Amino acid sequence: MRRVEDLNEIASVWRGEVTRAIKSGRVVVLLILFLLFVGLALTIVGFINYQLNAQAGTQLASAGADAAQTAEAMAKQKAGILSFMFADDEAMLESLAKVPLVLLIVFKVTLRFVPLLIALMGFDQLAGEIGPKSIRYFVVRVKRSSLVFGKFLAQATIFGLLLTVSTIMMVVVARVLNPEFEASDVVLWTFKLIVSSFVLALAYLGLTTLCSAVLKQGSVALALNIILLFVLWFVALIGEFYRIPGEVVTGALGELRTESLFGYLRYASVWHYGQDLLHPHWRQFLTAAMVHVGFALTFLGLAQVVINKRDL
Amino acid sequence: MSALAISISQVSKHFGSKIAVNAVSFDVVQGHCYGLIGPNGAGKTTTFSMMCGYLFPTAGQIRVMGADPTAPGALKKIVGVLPQDAILPPTWPVGALLTYLGNLSGLPNAEAEARSALDRVQLPETWSLLAGQLSHGMAKRVAMAQALMGSPPVILLDEPTAGLDPKIAAAVRGIIRDLKGKHTVVVSSHNLQELEELCDASAILDKGKLVSAATMAEMTGQSAEFRVQIAKGAVPLAEIKALPGCRDARVEENNVLMVNFDGMAVQPEEIITRVVALLAAKNCLILGVWRGKSLEHRVLQLT
Repeated sequence: MRRVEDLNEIASVWRGEVTRAIKSGRVVVLLILFLLFVGLALTIVGFINYQLNAQAGTQLASAGADAAQTAEAMAKQKAGILSFMFADDEAMLESLAKVPLVLLIVFKVTLRFVPLLIALMGFDQLAGEIGPKSIRYFVVRVKRSSLVFGKFLAQATIFGLLLTVSTIMMVVVARVLNPEFEASDVVLWTFKLIVSSFVLALAYLGLTTLCSAVLKQGSVALALNIILLFVLWFVALIGEFYRIPGEVVTGALGELRTESLFGYLRYASVWHYGQDLLHPHWRQFLTAAMVHVGFALTFLGLAQVVINKRDL
Repeated sequence: MSALAISISQVSKHFGSKIAVNAVSFDVVQGHCYGLIGPNGAGKTTTFSMMCGYLFPTAGQIRVMGADPTAPGALKKIVGVLPQDAILPPTWPVGALLTYLGNLSGLPNAEAEARSALDRVQLPETWSLLAGQLSHGMAKRVAMAQALMGSPPVILLDEPTAGLDPKIAAAVRGIIRDLKGKHTVVVSSHNLQELEELCDASAILDKGKLVSAATMAEMTGQSAEFRVQIAKGAVPLAEIKALPGCRDARVEENNVLMVNFDGMAVQPEEIITRVVALLAAKNCLILGVWRGKSLEHRVLQLT
């Protein structure tokens, strides 16, 4: 009975916050900015990709290569870029080979900005109400935990919609530029990209909720959020710079990395696991997804502890 | 003994090294209108905020209708609050905000409740306005409306008439008067005349400590004192002091006769009539008679 009441409370907060967010100008502006950014990235990457392909085609033709040889050379070039951008995992590279390069590059670039966009959208979800004490109107009516969860879910819903719209836009453009991108792959990859970007976003949504619960000034919460994002990136990056003792690495870049216990640092940052969200094998995908959900729940749990213990 | 709506026992609140509230205890009887009185920095709003569950006491215990305000969701449907300095979320239209708050309280028909509450504070025209567009007085009344929604048994009002023009303030006092008996109302205010008029009992705080908690009758000495404004004539003090039940009589400044009496031994109307009759017999001319001291006088004495 109590649990049903809690769920009703969370649902009421979620409904109210989603309605407010949709009606507020900020979400519309962020959606437009995000779509403009995706559009710009698509234009630049699509143009470069087209030019490189045309140039390579001309060079191969002048060297006397036939259509099959040209296609093979192009595929090799793509595999090289994918290997540089994503991983040396063969199964992953094989799976990504079916997807237009322009889509993968734009998607990857866009994902880099997702945590920042999440911070911009939700930095004041709690801090914006703690500072001017508006939260006092709510906490006599619902549990503080319901307020935190409801607001988190509202942010997740809005952001899910935003990611869906932008991913569909990316896929449509990629399909127009690459008619060989098969319809069945279009559907499958649209779904995969939306799910993976949404799962990735959950951890950062949790982080933004935590920052907003800790501080009572929205601007300071935003600054803290951005600082923590950099910390997560740095920790992952430092971890990637070193080889874990006994780790087998391939490729020229891999051999440059020295062996150190610092290599383990990569596992402490959620950023490290983002790559595997596109992995074709369920085990890798589910591990990465669970880690992201785990980070999200940890951040949310901390936000709950903070908000339940603090004076409002 | 009457059932208690609120019980505060040895409650303290520290902000770092600053002690805002120090071992305060008092009870509020169900159905009473209770005043929280004290100068700035006395700890009224801190005590009020602890009753609402906004602040956690450093020590002591608070119960509101038997519930611990610090327990999650404990005050739902029990308490309606008008917080003093909480800003209404500015991007919400008033009607949508009140409906949302009603939904959060689990009210079955939140929109109808919201409309009715706005009517009660005479602001139905603000339904579509953004909360951020409201004047101070309007925002205060909208905040009052949300506190009344769902008719909770306990209503806590922090400075309900502060910053309102006299006409609107009178209307708000009218609303509080209507709540008396049906709800337990706690009013924190600097307006002592207002509290004296509205409250059945009150607590006076000063520098974080409780200096007095009593019924308004006890507080203003209504059962034990009255005053007579003498216009002309010599007051027969010895004869007045000799009256049954009279404890003391003296002439204060501005030619005001103060009579202190034993409220248990003699009814106020009896002794007042006798004193007035005695004065009349001695050809004293009287301008007025009033019972007790004003609350303001009492508060100034204690703080």
